[in-house]
Order: sequence, then structure tokens, then C-alpha cells
Amino acid sequence: MSEAAAALPADDAVAEADWRRLHPATLLLAIVKLGPRSVNFLPALAAIGIAGKWIYVVPALGLFLLLSLVFAWLSWLRFRFAVGADEIVIESGVFARQHRTIPFDRIQDVSIEQGLVARALGIAKVGFETGAGGGKKDDARLDAIGLGAAQALRTTIRAHRGTAVPPAAPATDSASPELATEDRLLFAMSPKRLLVAGLFNFSLAALAVVGAAMQLFDNVLPFDFNIFNPLDWIDIAEEYGLDRWVVAHRWVAGVGAAISLLFIGFASGIAMTFLANWDFRLTREPRALRRTRGLTTRTDVALPVRRVQAAIIVTGWLRRRFGWHELRLQSLASDGEKEKDHQVVPFGRLDEIDPVLAEIGIARPGADRPWAHSHRIVALGGFVGAGATALGGLVAIALGQLTGWIPLAIAPLIAAGAWISAHFHGWTEVEEMVAIRSGWIKPKTTLLPFASVQSVDLATDFILRPLGLATLRFGVPGGSALGSHEIPAIPLETARALRTRVLAEKDAA
Amino acid sequence: MTETIAAHPIDPFAADALNAGEGLDPVDPAYTHVLRIATLLKALPVAIAATLIDMLAIRPEGGPYGLLTVAAWLLGTIIVVTFPSRRAQRWGFKIGDGQLRVARGWLFRIDTIVPFVRVQHIDVGQGPIERWFGLSHLIVHTSGTHNSTVTLPGLHSDLAAAMRETIRRHIQTDFA
Repeated sequence: MSEAAAALPADDAVAEADWRRLHPATLLLAIVKLGPRSVNFLPALAAIGIAGKWIYVVPALGLFLLLSLVFAWLSWLRFRFAVGADEIVIESGVFARQHRTIPFDRIQDVSIEQGLVARALGIAKVGFETGAGGGKKDDARLDAIGLGAAQALRTTIRAHRGTAVPPAAPATDSASPELATEDRLLFAMSPKRLLVAGLFNFSLAALAVVGAAMQLFDNVLPFDFNIFNPLDWIDIAEEYGLDRWVVAHRWVAGVGAAISLLFIGFASGIAMTFLANWDFRLTREPRALRRTRGLTTRTDVALPVRRVQAAIIVTGWLRRRFGWHELRLQSLASDGEKEKDHQVVPFGRLDEIDPVLAEIGIARPGADRPWAHSHRIVALGGFVGAGATALGGLVAIALGQLTGWIPLAIAPLIAAGAWISAHFHGWTEVEEMVAIRSGWIKPKTTLLPFASVQSVDLATDFILRPLGLATLRFGVPGGSALGSHEIPAIPLETARALRTRVLAEKDAA
Repeated sequence: MTETIAAHPIDPFAADALNAGEGLDPVDPAYTHVLRIATLLKALPVAIAATLIDMLAIRPEGGPYGLLTVAAWLLGTIIVVTFPSRRAQRWGFKIGDGQLRVARGWLFRIDTIVPFVRVQHIDVGQGPIERWFGLSHLIVHTSGTHNSTVTLPGLHSDLAAAMRETIRRHIQTDFA
């Protein structure tokens, strides 16, 4: 093995003694990961079983597990890293060797993540954010080292960044003039706040899971009663000789089902909020906003301030009445696989959000700012959808399908929703930043600094053109391709003037 | 900044004032032929398929034999003869003043501006049909999620190369 290592060009910056391996508990993690992975092996097992060679099943499984373990052990053996004076070197690969050097200067930040097993073992996964274009999978990471070692590594890298001559700081860094030496706590969530947030996160998504589980356990449970099944409520009523009463008062069953639905919705909302946001802390560090959160899986994510492209404030029609809002930041990096934008304030008051926005040099438009509105024609899409729905319903009724009345009843609701939503489309301009808001059920305000805009589309079509309208669409790094930032249906001259102003900033920069 | 807009207060989306009227340069007239051949290559299989369906399915069934064939070929001919020149006319571009402007389409017209300093990298490409007419297309990549690539077809190959050089100089000076 040492011969193979020697085959690679020796790295002068790293002494032989500096090489370190991952925490031995990585092997334990590999065993844990084997569980889900052996599912891949099931078809092979089934094939053996179908062939009638049942005696071979256990040895085959054993061989598979053994090979996996040996491979995990080998890759652990062949993975080593060294922290040099101003770079980190990682060597990996069992057969194909890979030697990677990351200068500290290029590491934007170090993220630390701990799953449930990792927390029990006191180890953590360390990721290096280098800002390479390839996304998450190209970023280097150390799968598991001791938590203390991880934090020490982060301190080393951050200390290096602190002492190094700052690379010709661009003017855009004005967001943090004082360059706080101490980490300041910007936002935290108490259990009480989590409970309130969970109540607003009412979700029936869990219902599908519970329903499926209930179907599964229906025959397993010793008692034949499913509280989620309205028919069971009717059964129980009959059992107590209440059938005649129940026929007259069928709503009892309905109320029982509704209460159980509400309970599931609130309980799953609260549970999900607690799991995701337990001990939520957002701190300001010299270059980044750092967020730690999570009950079972704790994540520690840093968002470099200079890479923030836009701020998005989301709320709901109900939670807005109570003054609750959510702040997301759009950045080049995405927040894990599912979330495109970084959630930095999951549930807070506007006066808690403002200080966070101030850290990234963005200010909300004041209450006195006049908002310009989009033309009501934006409701047209909804109207067309409603028309199509109604048409579909009518066709179904004409064909003798009584269910056709359902789309026919929904169509006016769609149209009304589109019409009301159209009133919420608006935009305003605050020095070198454009604010766009939209949505009625889920109001959303996007704060987009001119400096983030990469390209501008001015789009018209055969409907907007006769009305003298145009849609402005901004190309902004990060975020999802579907959720592009646009100001729909504003007067052509206004759109053109705004485009000129947005792009004029670029020449001054 | 964009003198093109200030100097031409004509409605840029009026059908008759498309290119010169809004201060855009037209693409090379030969691009019409490129579009026509590309359209032909797409329409031909459809027309042939329609003919085959007519012969193999409608004739044995005793349907209106010949109707589908005539309709498909007639429609195909109209599309190949008339549409490409119109589509090529709708393309317009303007380079200069630190930004590239590309406009396209009529029913849905999109007028895109990309400042040179926002360009990540540039491609100049040439397909086999384009090569035949000495044309190239320019592809500009930005870091925006929307408009991550802006394509401008129908440029004479020398012009495309010259535009690439113009834009490239700006990229070099603004690397932060």
C-alpha cells in the first residue's frame, strides 16, 4: 500500500507525520449504511430463491456483507488527509487514487453535519465549501472525524483567513464594515416559538403515511377499530344501540373524523418543525452567516455574505395576520438537496428579520414606499385554467358522469383566486434594489439588489402587446429554474426605464 | 445607457419596425435558408408518416383516402416556404455599450440584455447546415439560473468570432 502511495508525487508541503485517517467510527457508519444498501441485493437473493437453491441464500448474503465490510475497511485504510500550513490535502480511492489539494484561501467555509448515529459516536461530517461550480457533489468532504477535531479544523481555517492579507476586497463588501471579530447571535428559536411555528405548519402530508400504515395494520391490530375510518365510528355507534340515533345524527361520525384529521395535521406539523429547527441559531461571523439547527440530524451551514444574491420573505395568509414571516436567502450554493434557498429565519417577526437583512446590506422598503401594481391581465392564466376546468366538467356531465359537477363547482373558485391574486402583484424600487411581491395565499416578497442581476428579459406577447404592457424577467444566480424573478405585465415604457436603471448599475461597478 | 432605446422611441414590437426601428441589427439573410432546411428536415418525416398512415390505415378502412396526404404535404409546404423567412426576420441583436442585446420571436417576443461583465464564458458553434452557408451561432453563458445561456444564431462566422473577442476582453477585465 505504501508503494502505491509513493507512486503519487510526494507533497512537499505536508510532512509524512501529518497524515491522518478518518475516525475509526467511520467503519461503524459504513455498517449502518449497509442496511439500506443491502436492499440492492434483494433481487439477487430472490433469484437464488426462485431457482430453488435456498441453502445458498445465507452464505450469499454473508459473502455480500463481508465484501462490503472489507471494501469499507479498505477505503477507510486508503483515505487519508493532512492539514498543512495553508492547505488541506486529501488522498482517497481504493483502486483509482485521487489526490486533492485545497488551499485555505479557496475554502469559503467549513460546514459540519451530524446525524443521529454520528452524534451518539461523537463524530461529524465535515464539508469544505470551495465555491466550485460543480455543486455539492464536487465539494470535498471528510465523512467522519471527531467532533472536536472538526471544530479545531474549522478554527484553523478561519484563523488562517483572518491573518491572511485580505484579497483585494471588492466594494460590495460594504455590508460588514466593522468585520465583527466576535460571533454575534442574530436569531434563535425557543421551544415556545417552535411550538407556535409548528401550529402554523398544519400539514396533512402525514395523513397519507398514517393512512397507509393503518391499512397495513388494520388486520394486525388486536381490535378492529380504525379511528381514522369514519365507517368505524358508525359501527361503534351501532354497537351501542345508537344506530337509530346515529341515523338522525350522522354528523357525529363526521366530527369524529374531522377531529382526528385536525389532530394528525397539528401533531405532524409540530413534530416536523421540532425535528428540523430544534435549537435554531443564526450567528454572524466575520464573513458568513452561520446556521445550526436540527434535533436528530444537526446541521451547521455557513452562508458567505458576499454570495447572497437576493432575499425572499415568505408568509401565509393566516400567519401574516399574526405577524409571522419567514426569511430565505438566495445564494449560489443550495441548502441541501431539497431546498434551493437558505432558510435563515424560519418563523419570526419582521423586526427580527430586519437586523438579519441589514447584515447582508438589504433593507426592506419602508411602509411609505408606493407599490406599483401589475396589470390585472395577469389573472388571465387562471381564467383560462378555470375555463378549461369548467369545459372538462361540462363534457363529463354531457357524457353522463355526475362527477363532472365537481370541476364545474371548482372553476369559479379558481377564477376568483386568480382575480384576487392578481391584485397582489406589485413592485417598488428602493435605491439600487427592486422589491417584487406576489401571491395571496402565500404572499412572497423578493428583495433583489441590482448588482445580482445577470441578464434582463423584456418579454411581450400577443396579449400584452396591444395593452402596451411588458414583463420583466431577471436572471439571478442560484434559486430554482422554475422560480425566476419577474415583474409581470407592467407598462412598456416603465419596464424599459427600469431595465435601463437595473443594468446601468453594472457599468458603474 | 442603452442609447438604442433613447434614440428610437418607436414601438419595438410593431411588426414593420422590427430591426432598424428599434436599433437592432438583423441577422444574416442566409439564416433564412438555414431555418428552411432545418424545418424541411423536421417536416419531411411527418409528411411521409402521414402519407404512410393514409396508404396503410385509411385506404383499407375505406376512409377518405388521399385527404390526409394532401393536407400534410400542403401544410408542410406552407410551413417550409413561408415561415422561415419570417422567423429569421424576427431575430435581432445589438452589440456595444458594454452589453449584448438579443431579441427574438413575435407572438412571444423576448428582448434580452446581457452586460458583458456578467458573461461567464462564450461559445461559438456551427452546425452542418450553418457551415454550408458560412454562418455560426454565438452562445453566451451567464451565472443566472434564468437565462443561463443566451443563443444568437445567424451570424456570419467572421462576425461571430469578432463578437466573441469583443465580449472576451470585458470578461478578462472584470474577474472578481
